Amino acid sequence: MFHRLLQPWRLMALAAICALVAPAHAHGPTRQKVAEKITIDAPAETVWAKIKDFSALKDWHPVVAESPASAGNSEGSVRLLKLKGGGELEETLESYDAAKMKYAYRAKDGGALPVTNYSSTIFVTASGAGQSVVEWRGAFYRAYPNNNPPPDQNDEAAVKAVTGVYQSGLQNLKKIVEGK
Amino acid sequence: MSNKASRHLARRVCVLGATMFLACVAFAEPLAFITNQGSHDVSVIDLSTDRVVATVPVGRSPAGVAVSSSQGRVYVTNPDSKTISVIDMRTRQVVDTLNAGDGPLGIAASDDGLRVYVSDWYRNRVLVYDTRTRHPLMTIAVGKAPAGLAVHDSGELVFVAERDDDSIAVVEVITQRVIARAKVGTHPFALTFDAARQRLYVLNVQSDDVTVLDVRDVFRGRINVIATVPVGKAPYGAALADAGRLLYVTNQHDGTVSVIDAQQLAVVRTLKGFGYPEGVAARGDRVYVVNWMDDNVSVLEASTGALIRTIATGQNSRGFGAFIGEALPP
Repeated sequence: MFHRLLQPWRLMALAAICALVAPAHAHGPTRQKVAEKITIDAPAETVWAKIKDFSALKDWHPVVAESPASAGNSEGSVRLLKLKGGGELEETLESYDAAKMKYAYRAKDGGALPVTNYSSTIFVTASGAGQSVVEWRGAFYRAYPNNNPPPDQNDEAAVKAVTGVYQSGLQNLKKIVEGK
Repeated sequence: MSNKASRHLARRVCVLGATMFLACVAFAEPLAFITNQGSHDVSVIDLSTDRVVATVPVGRSPAGVAVSSSQGRVYVTNPDSKTISVIDMRTRQVVDTLNAGDGPLGIAASDDGLRVYVSDWYRNRVLVYDTRTRHPLMTIAVGKAPAGLAVHDSGELVFVAERDDDSIAVVEVITQRVIARAKVGTHPFALTFDAARQRLYVLNVQSDDVTVLDVRDVFRGRINVIATVPVGKAPYGAALADAGRLLYVTNQHDGTVSVIDAQQLAVVRTLKGFGYPEGVAARGDRVYVVNWMDDNVSVLEASTGALIRTIATGQNSRGFGAFIGEALPP
């Protein structure tokens, strides 16, 4: 009985079956990050003036329709984003440093984005010859908290969504500020 | 060769061997092993030169790390491949890969390096490994979402942060039981044990503070909160530095490091300019802070907190655990 089971072709078939039934991917939640930057042909102060208000996102991000903030630029201010394609996102200002042209905020629930425990920082730095660099950085977990997430809630989906938000925002900001 | 000549040669070889051995001991390299969750590898930094001397590919999304100098081994948890990579400190290569539950995260080794403890995030348990047999000796049930671990200096107890229960558990290894439990702040994640003072520092990610527990009576099942020290936002790692005088705490969301006087239990300074700092470890007069967002390690002077230099690592570096050790000669 056993010697027949141990014949090479049977073992190979068994191994192939095992490979098929084993889960292909088994992910635990791992924090992800996205860091996007863009060089703008304008002084840092000019760029900062455009983005410095926590409630000004609607003025420079192409997919944001509304972005009222509850307490302006003071720590703890909550802004409620309404997106043009539908969907909302609630973000709380965590730190604000006008001298460094930088602020950070976070969202416990990703809302319209397939993320959780999302935190983000945006800042402007001078880059010589009247140019500036805007950097936007986010840290977050995917939407699905357990192992084996569905494709629309996995790490890749989360990174892709946040990357899209940052790139489209920064490109539009550059366009507006440079007046092109 | 005459008998006398061969004896002489043998003696010379012995002397030479002993000299080389001593030289090697004298030059035992202090190394840091930084887990890089984004590039799925470990950056090995020689702390005598502050240079990366190797990058070791491991499993998926390595997070936790425990260095056992006595065994010359480094243990790394790979939560996304559910394994532990075992690295040889001298050859800087993976020599073994162990299966480790459903979500291995925190990891700590006993002083003799014969036991390794791993928190299994999804299964609410601690896995206990005998490093000579490779397989878990036992699994011990704990509270929800076990994260950071610390081994008591007796070697008989392991402290476990139960993140989603807002508590820490004291596991007695030999009886496989939780012998004490204490409520702490909100979402405790990392733990640091202070053997000299018999204290446990618990970092509460959501309440932005450090719970200080007195564990002198822990064998009688008693642990007492002696202080709660407010720090920056989302404290993620802590290390005793400057001969135990200072406790360095990384604040992930602030991008800062709080330096606490361990005697007074008060923050004496707050250092700025870190990129989502996570893991932290100290050696001699230096402190090493791992910057997850910036993909580097900040080298600080322990007594002042002054930045000496930064060292580039792999991507999304974490260094969650005791990541420094000495590679002894063969």
